[in-house]
Amino acid sequence: MAGISGILAFDKVWNVNKFLKYSLIGLQHRGYNFTGVAVYNEGKIESKTYNESPEDAEVSYDGWAGIGYSGSRKGYPVKVGGIAYVVDGVLKENPEEFAKDLLKDPERALENAKGVFNLIALTENEKIIAYRDKFGLRPLFLGGFGFDLGIVSSESSGINVIGGDTKREINPGEMVVLERFNVESKQLRVERKATCSIEYIYQSRIDGILEKSQIYDVRIRIGEELAKEWPISADTVVGVPDTALPFAIGYSRKLGLRVDLGFTRTGSPIRTMIAGDNFLKVVGVQLKLNPIRSAFFGKRIVLIDDSMVTGTTLKNTVFNLRKMGAKEIHILIGSPKLVRPCPYGVEVPSESDLIAANLKDEDIAKVIGADSIHWLSIDGLFRSIGNKDLCYGCMGGIYPG
Amino acid sequence: MQRVLLIGDGARENAFASALSYLRLYALSSFINPGIKKIVDSSGGKYYIGDINSQEFVKKVKDDVNPDFAIIGPEDPLFHGISDVFYQEGIPVIGASSKNSMIEKSKTWMRQLMWKYGIPGRLRFKAFSSIEDAAKFIMEYGGSVAVKPSEQVGGKGVKVVADLQAYLSQEKRLALSKSVDKIGELVSDKVKVIVEERVDGPEYTQHVLTDGQSYLPLPLAQDYKHAYQDGIGPETGGMGSISGPSSLLPFITEEEYEDTFDIVRQTAKAVERETGEKYKGFISGQMMLTDLWGPTVIEYYSRMGDPETSAIIPRIKNFGEVLIRAAEGHLNKVKPEVVETSSVVWVVSPLGYPLDRTIARGKRIFVDVKKIEDFGCQVFFGSTSLEGGQIITQGSRALELVALGDYNEAVKKLERCVSFVGSETRLIYRTDIGKSIDDMIEKAEIIRYSYKKRKSKGTLGISADWSPNGGMW
Ligand SMILES: Nc1ncnc2c1ncn2[C@@H]1O[C@H](COP(=O)(O)OP(=O)(O)OP(=O)(O)O)[C@@H](O)[C@H]1O
Ligand code: SF4
Repeated sequence: MAGISGILAFDKVWNVNKFLKYSLIGLQHRGYNFTGVAVYNEGKIESKTYNESPEDAEVSYDGWAGIGYSGSRKGYPVKVGGIAYVVDGVLKENPEEFAKDLLKDPERALENAKGVFNLIALTENEKIIAYRDKFGLRPLFLGGFGFDLGIVSSESSGINVIGGDTKREINPGEMVVLERFNVESKQLRVERKATCSIEYIYQSRIDGILEKSQIYDVRIRIGEELAKEWPISADTVVGVPDTALPFAIGYSRKLGLRVDLGFTRTGSPIRTMIAGDNFLKVVGVQLKLNPIRSAFFGKRIVLIDDSMVTGTTLKNTVFNLRKMGAKEIHILIGSPKLVRPCPYGVEVPSESDLIAANLKDEDIAKVIGADSIHWLSIDGLFRSIGNKDLCYGCMGGIYPG
Repeated sequence: MQRVLLIGDGARENAFASALSYLRLYALSSFINPGIKKIVDSSGGKYYIGDINSQEFVKKVKDDVNPDFAIIGPEDPLFHGISDVFYQEGIPVIGASSKNSMIEKSKTWMRQLMWKYGIPGRLRFKAFSSIEDAAKFIMEYGGSVAVKPSEQVGGKGVKVVADLQAYLSQEKRLALSKSVDKIGELVSDKVKVIVEERVDGPEYTQHVLTDGQSYLPLPLAQDYKHAYQDGIGPETGGMGSISGPSSLLPFITEEEYEDTFDIVRQTAKAVERETGEKYKGFISGQMMLTDLWGPTVIEYYSRMGDPETSAIIPRIKNFGEVLIRAAEGHLNKVKPEVVETSSVVWVVSPLGYPLDRTIARGKRIFVDVKKIEDFGCQVFFGSTSLEGGQIITQGSRALELVALGDYNEAVKKLERCVSFVGSETRLIYRTDIGKSIDDMIEKAEIIRYSYKKRKSKGTLGISADWSPNGGMW
């Protein structure tokens, strides 16, 4: 997973270097093990990869246009000759060959490229080329800052954190070219739209938008759907931070059940954000969450989480909550069961690692030690998001292509 | 048949010409505008080419034409006293006197006037004669700002910077302070740069025509300032506009329209007090609806805006008569017949505009006027000259396409018609103009709530910024 950004100044007095850094920090929740930047200045591109998060990376190149990457893969930006590019998704082409093609004829290169990917490229002929994958699986936005900067970024947070205005989502299969003298867009491919469901459920930042829906509202609705599908008589509902908090709020609202903050954190928030390089790490992250005794003591609890992979973390959490005196623990998962891997670059583990792909519900409850466990239904997911133009392949649905 | 002399060469003047085409139209431009020429020819007038800012030359043309009345489109001739030529000889004219046009020419004078007379909708500002002082102020003081050349220099040089993130403040202020050099170079006046507080909200223009006695507000229009699609890119003179339905815009209320009219009238009166001359001609408030004030003045024009004019004139059936009455001093005798239907204008510019006009200049463009009209649009020519049967770009906005209809319908027509404009260079135009109306309605609603709250608490217009270095301003 990755977040990518590109920034171009229409007036060369601007130095985009810090803007890039902060834009990438605004995308850090999409993955942050590696940072990469490429900056254009005086006819040449300089680029660098850092083995650390954007927050820690000291971006030292100055220039009036640049692109950046924050994510779980090493090797971005790819820089060959007069072009550098970054990718969110899976590009199934030889990186160097593709770079050359992209510089020569961006339209053709993007039209013919195999894989499903978002891309931002920076060229020595002073252009930033942005392309959103043909299904619109991953998000990509266009924005501006005053009369001075044009911005493309994976999420609106990558634009808003630098004070810019998000203008619109780039369409699936659309290419946008930013240059000083124009901003031009072209629809290269048209396919069935299929946005990644996981973006709605936990990947995108909670203050973001996707396909015109507010992420926060979708997540509240997921909680409400869970309440409709699984109304449990309990004393309180608790969401696992951060992603599942709105689920708990929605659940509470619908049922008039009180909601509690059940956990506090060990370590810095940005690092424990659910965004590691794979699901297992995500799970590990939750170990840094410490339950608050008085939220659980003597109570019947509905505990909501955003996903379940091996179930190990949840098992630990349930064990801890029992120790603290929870009387009943009912688990709700704010996504349908994850049963298959993702071919598009989201690190869903292989089927053999997915508890929901291997065990029956009663057995899962036994393993976890919970009184009950339920998942959001696929229809509940559709209702929460408000449309069916989705990929939900990893939840047993069809992969778009 | 009345004889009218029209001065100017852009799309605005082409629109004026179309409203006056039933008279005998004489025109004076600095190049042959194909649209104006066509109307001059068909009305049996004559087309003069020369320096529209030269009093001497204009006098000669005037003597030659002996017009019943004259109309001056752009601001530069006003600044150069061209309207005064007509006032001196008692020839009816539409155009602010050079003294009165100060309200547009000097942004510093304008802001000072608003404070001196306590006119609502005024912004905090600082004026600088020294570039170094301006740069220093920007580095040391806090807050989001707009930095501008202190004079009207035709839609360039303005920087608007939202400084809301402490972590990027230094970067932004550094870029701004570097750019004041260039901004200052645009200005010949002693005062070079003004820095004002930045405000935010939907913009609109209210044009008010006056004969010195009565004041006539025209239907509102909105101008789109960013050069490129989706409201991104450098400042321009305007890449399109919308007007209507009726006299309002969908995101401005009747009350705001009246409040704006009040502001503009108060300003015209204040100008008169300062200059000792009756304000005659257009005074147009380029406004923004902000949570600070509600209607807020961004700047004034002493003429009609371009491209707002192209959106407004086709919506007023008797605009020619309105102009004549105003010039004669009988504005109260005419009522403008405004059509309910709204309009959308798309400006078409050659690649290079607005950053590098040498790239934009000297390119042939091809316009199938008949096709455009068949598909329900009008075309007004802007910065293009007719040279040996060819239409050649002059470096700025080449032409404006106008469509009437509800916004969706108008946009559809424009999408069709713009395909009948071609060029040997790439053309730039914004197909998003006329489309994001709902967003603006929503924004305006939020702003309306806030400024009304201020109004009821008596805190309209009160704001300040503070930084540890600079202190408060
Ligand atoms: N104080 C401000 N706060 C926010 N935005 C501003 C401010 N002042 C100016 N702007 C923005 O900059 C644009 C241009 O400013 P202004 O009209 O003062 O400049 P100009 O170059 O004289 O333009 P014009 O071509 O209209 O004559 C405005 O339309 C507005 O969008
Ligand atoms: S398979 Fe799952 S994670 Fe991958 S794109 Fe589809 S919904 Fe998203």
